[in-house]
Amino acid sequence: MSAVTMVQAVARTLDEEMARDPRVVVMGEDVGKRGGVFLATEKLFDKYGPDRVIDTPLAEAAIVGAALGMAVHGLRPVAEIQFADYVYPGFDQLVSQVAKLRYRSGGQFTAPMVVRMPAGGGVKGGHHHSQSPEAHFAHTAGLKVVFPSTPKDTQGLLRAAIRDDDPVVFLEPKRLYRAVKEELDDDPDFALPIGKAAERRRGDDVVLVSYGGSMAETLRAADALVEQGISPHVIDLRSLAPWDEEAVLSAVARVGRVVLVSEAPHTASFMSEVSATIAEEVLDALLAPPARVTGPDTPYPYAQDREYLPGPNRILRAVQRVLDY
Amino acid sequence: MIRESQLFEPFTEEPISVMNEAGEWVGGFDLDLEPETLTRFYRDMLRARVVDERLGRLQRQGKVSFVAPGGGHEAAQVGIAHAMRAREDWLYPYYRDIGLLLALGLPLVEIVGQSLGTSADPAKARQMPYHPGSGEFNVFTVASPIASHVPPAAGTAISQKLAGSGEVTVCTFGDGATSEGDWHAGVNFAGAQGAPAVFVCENNGYAISVGMRHQTGSDSIHVKAHAYGMPGYFVDGMDVLASYYVMREAIARARDGFGPSLVELVVYRYGGHSSADDDSRYRPRAEVEQWKRRDPLTRFRRFLEKRELWDDEREAATLQELGDEFTAAVKQAEEAGVPPVASMFDDVFADLPARLRKQRAELLGEG
Ligand SMILES: Cc1ncc(C[n+]2csc(CCOP(=O)(O)OP(=O)(O)O)c2C)c(N)n1
Repeated sequence: MSAVTMVQAVARTLDEEMARDPRVVVMGEDVGKRGGVFLATEKLFDKYGPDRVIDTPLAEAAIVGAALGMAVHGLRPVAEIQFADYVYPGFDQLVSQVAKLRYRSGGQFTAPMVVRMPAGGGVKGGHHHSQSPEAHFAHTAGLKVVFPSTPKDTQGLLRAAIRDDDPVVFLEPKRLYRAVKEELDDDPDFALPIGKAAERRRGDDVVLVSYGGSMAETLRAADALVEQGISPHVIDLRSLAPWDEEAVLSAVARVGRVVLVSEAPHTASFMSEVSATIAEEVLDALLAPPARVTGPDTPYPYAQDREYLPGPNRILRAVQRVLDY
Repeated sequence: MIRESQLFEPFTEEPISVMNEAGEWVGGFDLDLEPETLTRFYRDMLRARVVDERLGRLQRQGKVSFVAPGGGHEAAQVGIAHAMRAREDWLYPYYRDIGLLLALGLPLVEIVGQSLGTSADPAKARQMPYHPGSGEFNVFTVASPIASHVPPAAGTAISQKLAGSGEVTVCTFGDGATSEGDWHAGVNFAGAQGAPAVFVCENNGYAISVGMRHQTGSDSIHVKAHAYGMPGYFVDGMDVLASYYVMREAIARARDGFGPSLVELVVYRYGGHSSADDDSRYRPRAEVEQWKRRDPLTRFRRFLEKRELWDDEREAATLQELGDEFTAAVKQAEEAGVPPVASMFDDVFADLPARLRKQRAELLGEG
């Protein structure tokens, strides 16, 4: 089997799950004949038809809310939000209905559904095609939040999300959609557990933690560190809710220095939570305060599309700070 | 079958009514309901009123923290319930629908337990009073955010269509709800899909204090159906038989694959918006009194009495029975006890994540 991009991994996993389970339906704006504006649902319409690949009205509240109503009635909907920046009209549905249904009904109703959305910057799309809203979802009790960075993780985690009995917000780093190709797993049941991080590199001098689009720059920074004779330990969180505290805390306890990298705006970002947890749990083992390298607290700019993102240089400067502390 | 000989026209100038204030049948078609069904409708209306009144009393005693009175909505709600196939069709109700849920068959003890916040509530007392639901009866658990249940209702109806299940989804709401974006998003999606849904507005003329004139530029709610390609029915919701027959026709239409409709049942809210409201600030008493003279129970009782199906004796006996039933339900619901504190951590997810396990231990002083 040949290597595929991340967006192809999405399409292939959707195809495999739809073939396996007739309850799986795909819905969203332009997901039908067009195959999605990023082609994440390519060819599904031809194969499964309009009943299972549903072109919805241009209304995110309807997409998210109707997916919930389908899920309680026995389907396994995978809803696409065209850009994460457009989830806000459907945000109330996610927060008020989807996230809370199992809880508020005392388990009488559940919402086994996935809401996929391309997120993050680096595509010259301005603030309404570039944001990273994951902290909103991680802050909402009742949602699982996944943000992979490789084609194969996308395959394994999307399959796990579709088979999960609870709602999963599945963020896809759009600037990595076609960045790399990777062989997928041929096992039709290959799934990765939601909530487990991946160790991208084992090292002893500094722990780098990231996820989603920023993994690319984090790995480039790690390569540069190795060239300088510094040994980085790199963790890709992959899931934010739940997140792999064990993987992060054990690495930080062992190494004593940590840099947290995310392109989401700094204040109350997901990395704020990781940082606070490290401080609460392994303060004694720290040789330097945790450092966060994030997007600034500005709306996402257009002209400074690249500069907004925490690039290798900013990451390396932060590493230097924690090493020099 | 009903559609071929369709009884009602959509978009009428005046609300559809089949029974006048004197309780005379003016339907213009043959009444096809058995005497037992007719008296059942009346009993369910009476039951809604008794339960409403008694829950209000519990609220004033401090046993229930909140009520949203349904007095004035009984005919509409009983009409909706009896037009549905209980346990088979799905209902997406709103908080004022206690009478509807009871008429659909939800056990009184569950409704009372929900409002008292005890384990008699199948949802484990997770929500404030007047927010029940039932997995057993396909009744989607009531949510406070107005109109947020409308897109999910559309989704269930679309799923019913895809499954060819022959089920229908009924979704109820007030007039204020029709201003929310979610309402339009949901109704529009159901229209685009031709889904078997019936959207029902219990229009009592007010959203808390805001009257229809400030809610919308439309003269009425049912006209909004035009925009979504579905029939809109304008109905006297103080007439239980009109409510029932129009709902029956709209549900049959949906069931037979002819798509959704919007039904506007014109009612009035006798009480305040809720126990937290003082409606004398915005409604003249004369207006309330005027509507009470058109009381749906009085009107339907006249109808039954003309057919010798009801009298003072039956009224008194039924009221006694309903009062006793409520007293027993309160006792049973209270005896169920309050759910244990630790249960607040259940049902966030199918499994308890490590973080919640830790937070539970900390909250219980075990951490
Ligand atoms: C999204 C949202 N906004 C505001 C409220 C507060 N609120 C509760 S009920 C209500 C009025 C609803 O009126 P209507 O839909 O006409 O139903 P009625 O109560 O008259 O039966 C308002 C404003 C809410 N629950 N949800």
